[in-house]
Amino acid sequence: MENSFKKILSLVSVAAFALSASTVRADDCADDTVKVGILHSLSGTMAISETSLRDVLLFTFDEINASGGVLGKMIEPVEADGASDWPTFAEKAEELLAKDEASAVFGCWTSVSRKFVLPVFEKYNGLLFYPVQYEGEEESPNIFYTAEAVGQQAIPAVDYLLEEGYTKFYLIGTDYVYPQTTNIVLFEYLLSKGIPVENIGGGIRYEGDVAVSAGNYTPFGHTDFQQIVAEIKDFAASGDACVVNTINGDANVPFFKEIAASGLTSDDCPIVSFSLSEDEFRGLPTKDLVGHLGCWTYFMSIDSPANDSFKANFQSWLANDAPAAVAKEGRVTCSPMVLSYNGVYLWKAAVEKAGTFDTDAVIAALEGGISFDGPGGTVTTQKNHHLTKSVYIGETLEDGQFEILEVMPDVYGEPWLKGTF
Amino acid sequence: MIAHFFFLGCNGKSTVKHWISLLIVAAILTSSASARDARTVMAELIQSERAEQAGLIEELSTYGDTIIADIYEAWRTGGIYLLEQDTGSQLLQFTDAQEWALVHNGAVINLSEAEAAAAKKQRPARALRKQMKRIIDTLGLKADNTALRIDSAIKLGRSQKAEFIPALEGRLKIETDKQVLSALQEALAISRLANGEDAQVVEAVQTLKALNSVAARAFLEELMQAEGDNERADSSLSYACAEALISIERHMKQQEFFGSFFRGFSTGSVLLIVSFGLAITFGLMGVINMAHGEFVAIGGYVTFLVQNFFIQTWGLSSSAFGWYFIVALPVSFIVAAVIGLIMEVSIIRFLYRRPLESLLCTWGISMVMQQGFRLIFGAANVQVNNPTWLMGNLSFAGFQMSYTRLLIILIALVVVALTWLLLRQTNLGLHIRAVMQNRHMASSLGVPVARVNRMTFALGCGLAALGGAVLSQIGNVGPSMGQAYIVDSFMVVVTGSVGNLLGAGLSAMGIGLVDQLLQPSLGPVMGKITVFVVIILFLQWRPGGLFPTLSRSLDD
Amino acid sequence: MAPGRAVPDALSQSRRLIAQAKVMKFSTEMKKEMGILCLVTGLLMLIPLFNAVGPESGPLSVSAFQVSLWGKYLTYAVLAMSLNLLWGYTGLLCLCQSLFFALGGYAMGMYLMLMIGERGAYKSVLPDFMVFLGYQKLPLHWEPFYNFAFTVAAVLWVPGLLAFVFGFLAFRSRIKGVYFSILTQALTYAACLMFFRNDFTFGGNNGFTDFKDILGCNINSDATIRGLFIATTALMVCTYLITSGLLASKLGKVQQAIRDSENRVLFSGYSTTSFKLMIFVLSAMIAGAAGALYVPQVGGINPSAMEAAKSLEVVVWVAVGGRGTKWGPVIGAILVNFIKSYTTHAFPDYWLIIMGGMFVCVVLFMPDGIVGVFKQAKSYFARQRSLETTAA
Repeated sequence: MENSFKKILSLVSVAAFALSASTVRADDCADDTVKVGILHSLSGTMAISETSLRDVLLFTFDEINASGGVLGKMIEPVEADGASDWPTFAEKAEELLAKDEASAVFGCWTSVSRKFVLPVFEKYNGLLFYPVQYEGEEESPNIFYTAEAVGQQAIPAVDYLLEEGYTKFYLIGTDYVYPQTTNIVLFEYLLSKGIPVENIGGGIRYEGDVAVSAGNYTPFGHTDFQQIVAEIKDFAASGDACVVNTINGDANVPFFKEIAASGLTSDDCPIVSFSLSEDEFRGLPTKDLVGHLGCWTYFMSIDSPANDSFKANFQSWLANDAPAAVAKEGRVTCSPMVLSYNGVYLWKAAVEKAGTFDTDAVIAALEGGISFDGPGGTVTTQKNHHLTKSVYIGETLEDGQFEILEVMPDVYGEPWLKGTF
Repeated sequence: MIAHFFFLGCNGKSTVKHWISLLIVAAILTSSASARDARTVMAELIQSERAEQAGLIEELSTYGDTIIADIYEAWRTGGIYLLEQDTGSQLLQFTDAQEWALVHNGAVINLSEAEAAAAKKQRPARALRKQMKRIIDTLGLKADNTALRIDSAIKLGRSQKAEFIPALEGRLKIETDKQVLSALQEALAISRLANGEDAQVVEAVQTLKALNSVAARAFLEELMQAEGDNERADSSLSYACAEALISIERHMKQQEFFGSFFRGFSTGSVLLIVSFGLAITFGLMGVINMAHGEFVAIGGYVTFLVQNFFIQTWGLSSSAFGWYFIVALPVSFIVAAVIGLIMEVSIIRFLYRRPLESLLCTWGISMVMQQGFRLIFGAANVQVNNPTWLMGNLSFAGFQMSYTRLLIILIALVVVALTWLLLRQTNLGLHIRAVMQNRHMASSLGVPVARVNRMTFALGCGLAALGGAVLSQIGNVGPSMGQAYIVDSFMVVVTGSVGNLLGAGLSAMGIGLVDQLLQPSLGPVMGKITVFVVIILFLQWRPGGLFPTLSRSLDD
Repeated sequence: MAPGRAVPDALSQSRRLIAQAKVMKFSTEMKKEMGILCLVTGLLMLIPLFNAVGPESGPLSVSAFQVSLWGKYLTYAVLAMSLNLLWGYTGLLCLCQSLFFALGGYAMGMYLMLMIGERGAYKSVLPDFMVFLGYQKLPLHWEPFYNFAFTVAAVLWVPGLLAFVFGFLAFRSRIKGVYFSILTQALTYAACLMFFRNDFTFGGNNGFTDFKDILGCNINSDATIRGLFIATTALMVCTYLITSGLLASKLGKVQQAIRDSENRVLFSGYSTTSFKLMIFVLSAMIAGAAGALYVPQVGGINPSAMEAAKSLEVVVWVAVGGRGTKWGPVIGAILVNFIKSYTTHAFPDYWLIIMGGMFVCVVLFMPDGIVGVFKQAKSYFARQRSLETTAA
């Protein structure tokens, strides 16, 4: 008797499978809409950063639809939650490309998620726009990196510090590929600029007897920085020292709290952080961060008409048109958000230039060089799938904004920097 | 004063008193005159152009008023405003007391809403800050706070710049605090290592050895290296350095040991507060509450909300703000207890004899709660500012203990004490113990088992929230803040024997200590892994935990 | 009884039991079971069949994406079956099943990384992550993974060895129940931390991705995807047969007796330590095999597969499907993951609430899982009928 129930069960599962096979597989692409994918973590640990990107993408799509859409078609966003789980990202990416047939996908934050979806995009010949500062050393034919490459964030920041007369650099980061790779490149760069190995702090890493990198790497979620801050204080005692900080998001809170408690001020030893933007400052004790540095290709405090209208429109969208799940209070704009925004407009321009949504044509159009006047200045696509854009160096203020110290216009985006100094 | 002067003059009494009064009055007049001048010069500096700045800074360096440091700090952190009106411009400071004061004389004035809105923040340029550094650092020697004075002294000394030596020597003559005195001596000695003649250098090295100066270690090593390079490795200086280094290293090891102990206690306290609630729900009731981490997060978020309430009502810089933490502790306890009560009545009540089902059910609840936090508060971490009385360190025998961590240890002790009192001295505690030992017998004897269950579960959840409130001071408050502590909490409860609160307390402290003692040598990751391996091996030896329940029944 | 003496005893016992199984006659029960198994296998085989020869679009079409998705679900099903073997039939709630799964996956991943050869970003024989970390040559323990046979063996013996060592230490000290579960959770947490380290030579946080070939075939081609699906189905059938055979044998009876009352089994003279250890190792090996088939179908592996939360998910699948039943874990694994895939797409902001709510309901109202629901419904209707007949 149990068996007959099991038979029914198996039939039910088959029916379910058939149902899944038939849903949405039918051509949903109505004549007047085009599907565009949003692939971000809306739950899990990465949701902290990635939900803002989802929000700005929805805003951008609404803005474009309000002005007539792309090639006359309205954008239909398809949201997929990667759930901070990398195999889920791969599965959602495949779903977006195979089932929804998205013309373009905007997504990913961590390098792991990008590396997991890369084979999917190459297999289905899809198009991904990746907006978050990363370590480079990658150039996929199906991904466009609107993100800051090392040469558009770490290198200019170090250049600025060298100009200011700093001669000792302490490298600290979280133990994963972005800080590790960035520091390998920075190590080579500093040596090439004549900084002796003893002046690079955090611990030198040797392969054989060759010094290849330096830096102090803490695991994710590490909260006890007393030992490390004491080391930094020692290192900075003789003056002219600064810290290059690639610690990931959350762990910056205990780090900066410890720095403040130790009496080290930003005038004694400035800290330049690459993973902290205005968005992250909302959760950080900004009093402890005053005077420390940041380097991005956009700051919310940029004084330009493009930025002013972007911010105003975003705020009014939040107040009036945003869906229920979008948090509306205390929102700020930051570089990854603006780079997502730029990515969408670049895609739109490429589609209009190519006259079609076909991936190969759009990629060819982008490789040919397309410019867009974004809130952070003009950005132009390059043949190597990265962007030429302006780099800004800023100093943190007590209200979580940056005061711009220097602008470097039109910096070329080069992902392959290792071994080139 | 003036009346007194006239009175004396009129009376023609003791001339000595007369002259003393004159001197006092003159001193007051001149001192207030110089205070005004420092303020005036600062006010001028803030409004000056690049060209005049160098001269003004030079002038400032002749004053020694700490008011310069105060105004500078306000300037640096956006507390100085320029109000430009038709009648001229005024430079204003928005003080901690939420009042507007004129910078050049400190007088408090009233501003209308429109004027307050029109005032523009002034900030020092980076280049200017560098130039001001020297003055500010030297002024640090005169700060009211001893910790700041010690810090400044060491900073000036370690820069090894000859220009600071006079300031250090000057302060040495008038300083009264013993700790600051030894810091000044240390600083001077370090400075002289680079700036003195040979005899002075040797003397400096010996001073550093006597003081066991940790700060001087790198410099002594450099000096020894230099001697070795110059082929003077046999010189008395080289030997002196070596001796000093040995003595300092021994002292450092001692300090590190104590430091690790302190850090171990503070880590253990955090672990204790967070897992005590779990020890109660799991240990006393047999309910595996996988949503425990979310109750910790509730505590963190309630603290955030209380903080916001205080900011809205009294302002961030007011003195009342500091009390938000004290208020947040009981409020988060109550809120979490109530939510726990609701959860117990609706769901947990059906799961008492099924520990593994309770695991699954509460896991589902934890997913719902986490997403709930994300939808209500947003996915981002929220900012919780430490109250001012919690900032800073207590210096003891040469090493620093931060007030926050001291408070955490205190709270942990209070939690343990109060729980012990509850269990041993109250009726509820008696009932709880009875139900834990034998539920059915207790029920037969008239103990209201259902009510006891509810109270116990609520208690456990409330304690978790206390953990969250504490964590908000040292870490992040976000939707998944509790996830980081779940595994550790379970380890603590299991190692300490399920059902034994003393065991849970001891194991929390033990795990914290072992973790911190291993960290300097193994690093944080390997340290944690070693702790787990140690626990696994410990459970080999004592499978029931620290205090296994001895009973004749086999299935206990 | 010293464990040393117990192990040969248990081995000889199991040898006798296996011999017994061989001469067992096929009962009608078994015929029915085999029938169900064949039916299910046949239905599953339709998936690659339709992918290979079916139409390109329309309700009967099956894309390569769907084949690999269902292949993934099947590996989860096997994982759930391995946990069921341990939990449903032996009463040991192991919260580190995902660790064994991931270890098998890593072993396969190492082979696949080496098969990339010089087609990586740096055009070097070494995997990409080793190049950018500055390694000059392949670490010694990577060398044997060039060989596929060794890889397959490693997929089985690496998780098996870990299970053996850990299980030996745990069972010998009579650690049971909740203690055992928490310990396994600690084990998987510690392993996760180790694998996250970049200098652990296993790719650190990035893990292994971007595979090109498996056994010489392009890993992204439809044929390979179908082949992997078929292999997974075969593994599932194998696992089912092992489970079935085990349960029908005397070994299985002892196993279930241990679940029901371990003390009595002990007093009856059986070495429960050896039995539990055997089942633990077997279930770990099955989980490892599932992991090895998971990795090529998903295209990567990363230490987050070892997180404590992942193991809890497996427990949820078995609980939802019905633990202690043969098909329960399969149904649970497929259904829960299917719902998860659907809700993360359709309700990206609320899916956690939906899933969480579902678990709570299942636990409260369906303690025996979905398979149990039918039993509950059956017994309810039976009672109704008997009430009617007695009333009449």
